[in-house]
Amino acid sequence: MKEHLRAQLASFFISVTLINLAMLILGCLLEPDLEFGYSAFAYPLIYGVIGSLPGLVMYSKKELTMKQTIIREIIQMLLIVVLIITFMFGRFKNIEYDMIPQIIAVAVSVMVIYVLVHVFGWLIDLKTANKMTEDLKKYQARASEK
Amino acid sequence: MEITVKKIGESDKEYIEIGCHKKDERIDEIIRFIRSREGILKGTKEDRQYSLALPDILYIEAVDEKTFIYLEKDCYESGRRLYEFEEALTSRNFARISKSVVVNLMKITSIKPSLNGRFSCVLTNGEQVIISRKYVPDIREKLRGGAV
Repeated sequence: MKEHLRAQLASFFISVTLINLAMLILGCLLEPDLEFGYSAFAYPLIYGVIGSLPGLVMYSKKELTMKQTIIREIIQMLLIVVLIITFMFGRFKNIEYDMIPQIIAVAVSVMVIYVLVHVFGWLIDLKTANKMTEDLKKYQARASEK
Repeated sequence: MEITVKKIGESDKEYIEIGCHKKDERIDEIIRFIRSREGILKGTKEDRQYSLALPDILYIEAVDEKTFIYLEKDCYESGRRLYEFEEALTSRNFARISKSVVVNLMKITSIKPSLNGRFSCVLTNGEQVIISRKYVPDIREKLRGGAV
């Protein structure tokens, strides 16, 4: 569980950075004239927390197979999309036609961020794996000499 | 080179002594070979019992209350539990890498990242076994030379 929380925390910080970037790009494209107060700084953090919630809920003590892991990741991503869209657009009683492009843009952004978080996580793991392989070779050399 | 084999009493500790002019690569090779033959596990296959040399074992896996010992090509069943193997083999270059697997560290060729913060060990026969996130810190410590 400790390792899972640590991984979730790392994902949270990567998510917050990428959400900032997505807000900048989407804002410039969809609402370039809109102005914000200081509260705008809180949104990436709130979205980051929302994005991390399914990860905490979907923790499994069982060792999942590759197939089970992929299925869980897809479910988790869809859950995050639903949660973020509900949070952003849930207050509107009627979804108007002109809001649909915004909803689609948000959904696509969430999916892109989700994939990018995993890509960055994987790159960090790749560095760790290379270091472990290096240590493994040294370990094997030491053990053979004994 | 003259080879002498001397029978000793059951109560005496077995030993090998090498008489040489110089401890060179040839002697080191003999020592490595002798060390590699130390330790044997018992495994059964098709109702026959076999002695399996530790250096030949790739990994040991627990599946549904049964324990299996995997070699390059063959698989043998054992009556011992996985934790017993873990305890007995930790000092013999074996390490627990997940809830169900104890691997021979000498049989890993490389380590790769897998999904969900896990890692995957590529073994000498090309097979891959997963290192769970929980065991990663211990494995890293062991590989760096610390005790686990």
